[in-house]
Amino acid sequence: MVFEQVSAGQKPRAKARGNLFAHRLEQKTIISAVVGLILAVLVLPPLYFLFIGAVTVDEGGQTRYTLERFVMLLSQRGILISTFNSFVFAIGSALLSLLIGGLAAWLVERTNAPLKSLTYLTNVIALGTPYVLYTSAWLLLLARSGPINTWYRQLSGETGVIINVYGMGGMILIEGLLWSPLVFLLLGATLRNFNPALEEAARMSGATTWGTIRRVTLPLSMPAILALSMLVFIRTVEAFEVPALVGLPGRVHVLTTDIYEMMHRTMPPDIGSASALSLILLFIVGALLFWYSRLTRNAEKFATVTGKSFRPNQIDLGAWRPLAGFALAFYFFLLIVLPAFILVWASLLPFYQTFRSQAFPLLTLDNYRAVLNSPRYISLLINTLLIAFATASAVMLITAISAWLTVRKAPGARVLDNLGTAPLVFPGIVLGVGVMQFFLQVPVGIYGTIWIIVWALVINYLPYGVRYSYAGMIQLHRELEEAASAAGATPFTGFRRIVFPLLTPSLIAGWLFIFLLATRVLSLPVLLSGPSSQTMAVAMFDLWGNGQGPELAALGLMWSLSMTCIAVVFYLVAQRGGGLQRA
Amino acid sequence: MNKLAGAVFSLFVIALCSQSTVRAEPSAELIARAKKDGRVTWYTDLIVNQIVRPLSEAFEAKYGVKLDYARGDSQDNLLKALNEIRAGRPVGDLVSVTTGMHSLIEIGAARRYVSEGVSLIPAHFRDPKGFWVAPNYFVMTPAVNTTMVKPQDIPKTYDDLLDPKWRGRMVWKPNDMSGAPGFIANVLLSMGEDKGMDYLRKLSGQNITSVQASARAILNQVIAGEYPMALQVFNHHAVLSAAVGAPSQWVPLSPAAVTVSQVALIQGSPRQAAAELLVEFLISKEGQAIYQKSGYFPTHPDVPAPWPELSPTGGKYTANVIDPEIITRDLEKWNGIFKTMFR
Repeated sequence: MVFEQVSAGQKPRAKARGNLFAHRLEQKTIISAVVGLILAVLVLPPLYFLFIGAVTVDEGGQTRYTLERFVMLLSQRGILISTFNSFVFAIGSALLSLLIGGLAAWLVERTNAPLKSLTYLTNVIALGTPYVLYTSAWLLLLARSGPINTWYRQLSGETGVIINVYGMGGMILIEGLLWSPLVFLLLGATLRNFNPALEEAARMSGATTWGTIRRVTLPLSMPAILALSMLVFIRTVEAFEVPALVGLPGRVHVLTTDIYEMMHRTMPPDIGSASALSLILLFIVGALLFWYSRLTRNAEKFATVTGKSFRPNQIDLGAWRPLAGFALAFYFFLLIVLPAFILVWASLLPFYQTFRSQAFPLLTLDNYRAVLNSPRYISLLINTLLIAFATASAVMLITAISAWLTVRKAPGARVLDNLGTAPLVFPGIVLGVGVMQFFLQVPVGIYGTIWIIVWALVINYLPYGVRYSYAGMIQLHRELEEAASAAGATPFTGFRRIVFPLLTPSLIAGWLFIFLLATRVLSLPVLLSGPSSQTMAVAMFDLWGNGQGPELAALGLMWSLSMTCIAVVFYLVAQRGGGLQRA
Repeated sequence: MNKLAGAVFSLFVIALCSQSTVRAEPSAELIARAKKDGRVTWYTDLIVNQIVRPLSEAFEAKYGVKLDYARGDSQDNLLKALNEIRAGRPVGDLVSVTTGMHSLIEIGAARRYVSEGVSLIPAHFRDPKGFWVAPNYFVMTPAVNTTMVKPQDIPKTYDDLLDPKWRGRMVWKPNDMSGAPGFIANVLLSMGEDKGMDYLRKLSGQNITSVQASARAILNQVIAGEYPMALQVFNHHAVLSAAVGAPSQWVPLSPAAVTVSQVALIQGSPRQAAAELLVEFLISKEGQAIYQKSGYFPTHPDVPAPWPELSPTGGKYTANVIDPEIITRDLEKWNGIFKTMFR
């Protein structure tokens, strides 16, 4: 690989290192063991309950072990079609979001394209917007009765539709758009910490801009892009809302909608079959992760932050700059303006109807009044912010240390990485049930409080934290720590004083990302919240289920606006504090 | 409960039977014990801002016992209650669901409770063994978008739904009694197996759209103009929307399907007296009046429906109360029919 020759820090001889740092490696082992224990306590109980749930049947108090659920699942008619659909849906959505979000991230982080702040804002707003709100906004826009099809009918005189959103195409489009901001933020962290020396070298050697991108930037970003594709792919296989709201009306079935039907056909819900299907998913995902870890085995090849100082440089787009600006403006239009337009419209109506002049006399601010006059939202707000803050902080702390140990190949590194990534396989409800059973059997008094929700969310978001920390860590060459170590610092001091500060941009980006996700997540709080630990997303779900779409739009818009303010303030504070100087 | 297989009840006949004059107040002793409990936890599937909050405010004001509630769908509530009981640490004191109560009763997790107050509720709204009582019921009917469907085109009988003009223009949700299985159940119970299956086979040719959302959200899609007609929604929702100007109208096809909202006490829960007091309150005239005021159909014979013409007791149409025991027995079958014929 081109890059290996250019990399400044060559590997020190292992033997010399062994002698010099032997006693310090012990400290790393201890840290590794502690982090491993924390991860195991978080991740293994739900896995255990998943496994037990899948292979046991309770018959009048007698527990019987069986594989019949797997047989039933694998022999079911239609399950192959659903699996195929799931893969098409996941691959399509992953590609689309990588294309849209990835292009935006590259333009913002690595070129002199205009409108960068707007693009950041776009992603932060999009991430702070609750899922149910976003999905329904897109459905309102693209539905048969939505403005696009209505205008088409008015202009053409036809009675049909120009866009039929209900089907695989619509599913991929909406899911791809939903994931674009996440791709932007995850990939942005990698691109931002990219050492431009290599690209400069390429260009000085006569490579064109495109040639540099193709032969240097893309190959170097490959681990991050692959990791991200894997993440989006797996999460999309597990996605439920879009397949349910967009796929089912078009008779497109995927695995998750099958699980859902399975859980709702019987009472009480058939957690056993859902667990069995999750284990099958786990197997598929495990195989993919194994393949992926082989691909990225030699992480050191990709280190670009070395002991040499570096400044991010930007590719001069030249005559293409206005076009890049247009692309980013369109990104903003697509992700914010369009959904916001339809939501503002909805929030001003007593009941939802499509955008048309006849509805203007009905416009009212009643929905905003209803939200502002309800005292209940204050306690929901406090709960939600507290949960999101605690979750994001815990995840980033654990995964920063774990990523450091993983990348530096500390004892048990592979185990840490696998434990941190394992929660990817839990569909929300299965994880929720696992955590609930754990705390009912280990009475430490957090059942029914917000802390059980934090616990479950930490597990749920560990893989995101791992990706953020890992993406940052993979670029830090070990020579910095070796210098610290040679100067007498213990490994942990090296981590604390060198790695952690250098990782900060990635960690802050990850923190913000998880914070925003945690404010809007629904499936876990619905199951785990007690009377005094309700969250905003649960309240929004109530409004949705109750058909108060316009009030939901009003609440959702105000909520997204406040989340955006929080994110922007946080961003500015972090920037002032120096954490994002390179951002 | 009536043990006749496939038993259905014609509501308006039953409602004429009893006008009670007995006044049932909870005993001073129960109130004292409930006050000692201090609070009570209710896992409910009712909508918080519509009905749970007014109920809780009135209950707290009257008895000084704090009512903690957590809202989830039937599935969530049952999962919570079942898991707590299996772990031997019940937290919820009472739970309400529309489907699946049998899974609590079967493992001995529901606590029997009979009282003078409960006995005032008509027999088809409570469990004969005393495991649950229903403070309210729901009426499920079709509803149309009035700007898309002309008055003369609104169906008057179930056979009208088979008209080719409805092909591809109807919507329902694929699960629960408030969706396709509830509609299928009602058809089979009222027409009988053979005629019912024959009807469903014809209906399956109508290419009905399934949308995975609450019945209320389905009705909203009809109001928004996405589909002209929903097949199985709560009829009072259509009326509530029409009251604020929405183009929605419910369709009184006879017989309509009626399901009940069941409340049960949890065996071994920490605050049993307060839980009993809450049940008494929910089915008292005072509690029932709150249901009525919030637009829910109360079950107490002395408290009329919020809109008499919406209730089968109004005499405009007939209805089947779909017995929870039959739901327990046949839900799987109805789901299967949906899956093979309509999915």
